[in-house]
Amino acid sequence: MNLRRSPRRRDVLAAGAATLALPTALSACGGGSASGSGGEIQFLLSGDANQGGGYQAMADRYAEETGVSVRIVDVPYEDLVTRLRSAAQADDLPALARASAVDPLWKDALLDLSDIATSYDVLPSLVVRNEDDEVRALPSDLTAVGLFLNESLFDQAGVTYPGAGDQPWTWDEFVAALRQVKAATGARYGMVMDASSHRLRSFLYQFGSQGVQQQPDGSWALDEAGADALEYFKSLNDDDVMPKSVWVSGDDPSALFKSGQVAAYYSGVWQVTDFAANITDFEWTTALMPAQPTRATNIGTNWIVAFDGSGVEQEALDFLDWLYTPENYAELSRISGFLPAEEGVDVEYTSNEEAFAMFNAEIAASDPIAGDQATSALEMSYRDIIIDSDPLKEETLKYVAGEQDLQTTVTNIGELTTAGYGA
Amino acid sequence: MAQSLSSTVVLWVLAALFIFPVLWLVLSSLKPGGELFRYPLTILPDTWTFDGYARAWERVDFALYFRNTAVVATVTTVLTVLVSAATGYALAKYRARWLSVLFMCILATTMLPTEVILSPTFVVIRDLGLYDQLAGIIIPSILTATGVFMFRQFFRTVPDELIEAARIDGARELSIFFRIMLPLAKPIAITLAIFSFQWRWNDYIWPLLVLGDPDKFTLQVALRSLIGAENIDWTVLLPASVISILPLLALFLVTQRYILSSDLNSGLKD
Repeated sequence: MNLRRSPRRRDVLAAGAATLALPTALSACGGGSASGSGGEIQFLLSGDANQGGGYQAMADRYAEETGVSVRIVDVPYEDLVTRLRSAAQADDLPALARASAVDPLWKDALLDLSDIATSYDVLPSLVVRNEDDEVRALPSDLTAVGLFLNESLFDQAGVTYPGAGDQPWTWDEFVAALRQVKAATGARYGMVMDASSHRLRSFLYQFGSQGVQQQPDGSWALDEAGADALEYFKSLNDDDVMPKSVWVSGDDPSALFKSGQVAAYYSGVWQVTDFAANITDFEWTTALMPAQPTRATNIGTNWIVAFDGSGVEQEALDFLDWLYTPENYAELSRISGFLPAEEGVDVEYTSNEEAFAMFNAEIAASDPIAGDQATSALEMSYRDIIIDSDPLKEETLKYVAGEQDLQTTVTNIGELTTAGYGA
Repeated sequence: MAQSLSSTVVLWVLAALFIFPVLWLVLSSLKPGGELFRYPLTILPDTWTFDGYARAWERVDFALYFRNTAVVATVTTVLTVLVSAATGYALAKYRARWLSVLFMCILATTMLPTEVILSPTFVVIRDLGLYDQLAGIIIPSILTATGVFMFRQFFRTVPDELIEAARIDGARELSIFFRIMLPLAKPIAITLAIFSFQWRWNDYIWPLLVLGDPDKFTLQVALRSLIGAENIDWTVLLPASVISILPLLALFLVTQRYILSSDLNSGLKD
């Protein structure tokens, strides 16, 4: 299913890692005595130090309260999957991990976390049960797509924008506003959007699409509203409202926005801390995303999993139970700037409170489709199906670049997704 | 005169082109976060700050990772040079049909990218109990076809008479190798050592696969952890990258006369 992708080095590596993992997949799940010396709980994750060190702080606190040591192992995000696969193969899985996806390779080595999911109000929309009615992965925190504005440019142009409690604008109104800002301030572009299918999905949802979904005959297809949205998206990529270079040639949208030359940035909550620290030349703010007519973000999450065979299974579960108590969970969210994946948790953010409030408002007002990508990927993993290509993004990219027309794009997205899922 | 002047100019331009990205990296690492993507870009920081260096030093346990990487790079390099020299010598000076077959086999390994032999190597390392050991990243890296080839080509230029004379004087094979051949091959040994050290210093994918314990991570694995899921903390990554370059830079300064020495046959004048 990688046929249509240029063979980038990382893919080759991933493929290599995947093949090396397969032959011994079964032996890996047999459980072993590895991991953890002297009852230490190993917790493999990525980006904790980058996000304020919340997990490390909680681990320290847990050690203080209970004397049980939790060791945070922070590995590069891109390689977490590879790391877990080689650990599974070497029978050295950690006790806990926070992974972006549940890998069919080790999904059978997971402990049931239902008790924690039900004891605390973990967001029901993100609690996915497998066929044995077990919850094998808990959402760790939420990420959501949202809209950032260059407030200085908007103010200079005298253009207003909707805040958290207001009526959202439509895409047509939003684009008109961008053109107005551009004309009045001489900004180079109206907006940029990350070249990511995650962002593109919420864009599709906002046009009333349900994204790429399974059809009654078992195949996968993009609906008509999605096709219309793609057409709209292409019209935005005209090097006036949006620079083509971001989607077509990998230009960095975050850098463009930070340069102060772009009025709006369609990205996600993870930018908040970075912008707060590293934008000093202008004022930035968040605004409601456009709805045409649907209000939708796209929710992402990482999954907390506990592995069987670590030798410290009960200790690991105890730690998770402690971590998900509302009080501790709020503390974790505060330190790391997370949007909570647990209901009724009141997080007192130390900074950028307004921005976080905006994202929470977007999530609350969002169409339920917003959680679809995260949960359906997990459901698929439970059924041993994993798609390692990204037809929605790859095909849209070709469409934006002018290599193929809309009809071909929509057809290819459907066919490649169907092939990818082996349906 | 005019010709030498123009070639000097060309060389200076080339040198400037090469130094520019490095200079850009160093200067950017001294900028505060708000200036990194400022439009229009400035070469020199408006505000010079070492804040990023302080934060990078705090975030990354450089002492630990430098030590791990240095151990791996040094041990591998010493072994690589010894093994390559011995193999190259044998392939150049001993006559046996199977030796040339072996040589072809060794050369053929250059056709296989590391990624392709990743999985078999991993299985071997795991079954040897070397998973999560520094030895697990040292041992597979020792034999390089390039090194063997360099030594073989060099030893072929050494006259056989030298060996015959030594044999007549009663020297044993091992002492011929260690006392005559290895000293002769010093320029090759140093060149290979520099390359090998640099390869191992920059190694990424293999240490990532084999090492599980963060206390054993090498510098490159640790550095990449600075790149987040969706965005990159440039204000820490840039200074950290500069710091990671320093040991190699120091190595270069110490050994540059060997690197720059074009006369690789210096030991063979007579």
